Amino acid sequence: MFLTRSEYDRGVNTFSPEGRLFQVEYAIEAIKLGSTTLGIRTDQGVVLAVEKRVQSPLIESSSIEKIMEIDRHLGCAMSGLTADARTMIDHARVTAQNHSFTYDEKIKVESVTQAVCDLALRFGESVHDEDAMMSRPFGVALLIAGIDEVGPQLYHTDPSGTFVRYQAKAIGSGSEAAQAELQEKWYSQMTLQEANILAMRVLKQVMEEKLDQHNVQLAQVTPQKGFEILDETSLKAVIDQM
Amino acid sequence: MPDMVSIGQPQQRQFNPYSENGGTILAIAGANFSVIAGDTRQSEGYNIQTRYAPKVFRLTDKAVLAVNGFAADGSMFVKKVKQRLEWYRHAHAKDMPLRAIARLIQTMLYSRRFFPYYVYNILGGIEEDGSGAVYSFDPVGSYERESCRAAGAAQSLVQPFLDNQIYFKNQRPPPGTSNPTHLPLHEVLSLVIDSFTSATERHIEVGDGLEIFVVLAKGSTTQGLENFANVQEMTQTREGERMFNIRRNLKRD
Amino acid sequence: MSIMQYNGGSVIAMVGKDCVAIASDLRLGNQALGISSNFQKIFSVTDRIYLGLPGLATDVTTLRELFRYRVNMYTIKEEREIQPETFAHLVSSTLYEHRFGPYFIEPVMAGLSKTPSGSFKPFIAATDLIGCLNFAKDFVVAGTASEKLYGVAEGLWESDLEPEDLFETISQTMLNAVDRDAYSGWGVVVHVITKDKVVTRTLKGRMD
Repeated sequence: MFLTRSEYDRGVNTFSPEGRLFQVEYAIEAIKLGSTTLGIRTDQGVVLAVEKRVQSPLIESSSIEKIMEIDRHLGCAMSGLTADARTMIDHARVTAQNHSFTYDEKIKVESVTQAVCDLALRFGESVHDEDAMMSRPFGVALLIAGIDEVGPQLYHTDPSGTFVRYQAKAIGSGSEAAQAELQEKWYSQMTLQEANILAMRVLKQVMEEKLDQHNVQLAQVTPQKGFEILDETSLKAVIDQM
Repeated sequence: MPDMVSIGQPQQRQFNPYSENGGTILAIAGANFSVIAGDTRQSEGYNIQTRYAPKVFRLTDKAVLAVNGFAADGSMFVKKVKQRLEWYRHAHAKDMPLRAIARLIQTMLYSRRFFPYYVYNILGGIEEDGSGAVYSFDPVGSYERESCRAAGAAQSLVQPFLDNQIYFKNQRPPPGTSNPTHLPLHEVLSLVIDSFTSATERHIEVGDGLEIFVVLAKGSTTQGLENFANVQEMTQTREGERMFNIRRNLKRD
Repeated sequence: MSIMQYNGGSVIAMVGKDCVAIASDLRLGNQALGISSNFQKIFSVTDRIYLGLPGLATDVTTLRELFRYRVNMYTIKEEREIQPETFAHLVSSTLYEHRFGPYFIEPVMAGLSKTPSGSFKPFIAATDLIGCLNFAKDFVVAGTASEKLYGVAEGLWESDLEPEDLFETISQTMLNAVDRDAYSGWGVVVHVITKDKVVTRTLKGRMD
């Protein structure tokens, strides 16, 4: 096993005899090193929550950005090599703006997710005069939350370019425990506020540090207000309700 | 033997890629329906090229596009719009809504700002909220939603008539009443037919045939259609919007 | 730009049941610039003949005087009132005299002509700027809004309209046509001619 792997895990565009792309699989592994990130879908909207690892007291925790806006009705949380997410979110934002420019309507959550995933496999060796492509797969997974004509939705994307829709999903280092907890506690009639509290509880369980308003970030997408990152005051209010 | 005098003289040659093929189109929106019509004569100068060249096209179950001006540009434009609609269907797993088609047409027209499609477009159909709608465009994509619009050779004949009969311009309603914002289907169809017979009477580029598309919003009845001959239903699915086609003759002289 | 559109203005005449109507706008312009909103283009020739002169404003004034002179000469020499048919031919030949340097006017006339039995028959006619006559049985139009007038009139006009209905029809035709013409408008004047009276009404229109 180790032998075959060492033969085929160097080229990003070479399948192993068992039909695997090791670099992509390693990229997926990279996400498991990332901070815990989770999303919960309810009928009233979608919640995104992330753990911010503030490794040093000298870090300005407010400068750690792991939840970002794609469009008024779309938000995104990440885990893994967050620098890679910039490329993807940039692409998602451009795609969303282009869509509303061309069609005078909001892009669907699935469409923007698909657009991001289209990027995922554009790595490898560029052919003759083609523009240089990415040299390796993305090392980041995204949770894309949004509301469109279909209703509130939550999607998960990984470095292989696969995307799946979830009612609740956790990614990152604490994802296994978090996902189990979500499976246990999630129910379909959940309100947005209940989802916020659940998100905080789950994060609290998997975090090493003590959870407070400085080391987590919470965001929602609602039909009324669209995407919004909760400020520290509202975040503290949620934490106090736990 | 070249003309010795003309040698060395500057010469100018020019190719004109455009022509104008006459005809007129018209669309009127009702509360829950839309009527889109066009004559079928295609001419170039004083020659009639054909007495049946459709100018009105079904795009989706609830959108119809009428194209008037340079016929070659018109048919190519419709082809490209249909192609974009197909791509959209594949990318987003739904039919493009009417206002999205309107915006798409704008971007497609404006992308040819410096070598325009020499066509006037009128888009008719049903909006997402179930209301009848008409969008009209200039050749480079300036557009507007209206409840009635005529374009083409007889625009100047038809539009003021429509202003009067659809918008009730220069008509004061009897005291205590107000002019209707939308007319019923049978009245709209009569006005369309009257408009085209009038235009045929006075404009040489209009005539031969009249093709009318009627799009009815979800759940509306066919009331108002029963008194018209040659009504053909072209709806494919039972539920949802329904579409009808009416063909009539116009004078051929 | 054609000299025919220099000052703007439009005229229409319609036949009704034992009546005729003639209407014009009131605008005088200098290309796109509006000069007057009370410029007369329709003139009475006799008690039962009205003449509309849309076109170049200077020729409106000139032809008005010229026709007044020629109709007066006719009346004096013939010792009778001129009939609409005769007047139409007078207009035609006067314009054709200037075949190669024409007046830039396309006259429209409306009147009632006396029949041998003593009753009155509606008469309308129009000519181009060199006097080619058009005796229409329904309506005639001329001026910068002529295409629009054709379209609306073709849609609204019916045969055998009573004077009041004819007034409504010609008014609506005129108002809606000039509203779509930048060179015509600024109010409308309508004359309805019946055997024993002429009713003249000035209509308010859009002032843009």
